[in-house]
Amino acid sequence: MSSPEACPQPACGRGPHCRLIRTPIDTVALLAAVAEDNAGGNVLFVGTTRGVTEGVVTRGLEYEAHESLALGLLDELRAEALARFSLSGCHVVHRLGPVAVGAASIAIATSAPHRREAFAAAEWLLERIKAVVPIWKCDEGGDGSRRWSHPGDMRAVAGEGG
Amino acid sequence: MAEQASPRDRSVDVLPPGHRLTVDLFAGMAEAAGNRRLVIPWDGGSVAQLRGILGDLCPAIGPLLARSAIAVGGRYASDDTPVESNADVAVIPPVSGG
Repeated sequence: MSSPEACPQPACGRGPHCRLIRTPIDTVALLAAVAEDNAGGNVLFVGTTRGVTEGVVTRGLEYEAHESLALGLLDELRAEALARFSLSGCHVVHRLGPVAVGAASIAIATSAPHRREAFAAAEWLLERIKAVVPIWKCDEGGDGSRRWSHPGDMRAVAGEGG
Repeated sequence: MAEQASPRDRSVDVLPPGHRLTVDLFAGMAEAAGNRRLVIPWDGGSVAQLRGILGDLCPAIGPLLARSAIAVGGRYASDDTPVESNADVAVIPPVSGG
């Protein structure tokens, strides 16, 4: 566990390891934050805003969250990832507010004694975050239109206990 | 944001504490309702009953509500979860972070 002082960016919410921020993500600092002497594999995943999706132009995205619930779930998922993949370190940052095309909306950094666990944990975390954490994106189209994205059905999530 | 009554029943603002419930809305759900917060008459009940009342009071959110989770006290709740009038309640439409 790193101290809050070691955190590369100011904490927003309850802890330094999982954060929701409204400023650009410092991905280099995030990767450095998971460095440990026993870690031989360090993975950084960065999700960025696509400029074109299936032929439709995106001018930018805007993210909104139920912040207390999202931070609680991020902390739970991180704890599960640490145990499940025997990680040495793990940090997650998600942007809120407007995010320009090409900018990072999410970054996940993991470290483990061996690469396989670090890769697997980063992917597992991303998929779980996209499935259960209450963060939403609004797509601003090239024509100025705005559309919230609400794919699928969240009632199954409640059924599995969140 | 200040509390706002639901679009179809502004009289709920005068209901005493203990007989009303505040429900937070987000993203496309808030857009559909025209409010980020609904205050509804409530004397206690289950999440399933809450879904019914929300849909009746604010039909515009019905289609999205049917695909949404309900969070009670900071946890996703099943339909049989009890909801007290002072509970922290939010409607969580399908998420799209990442």
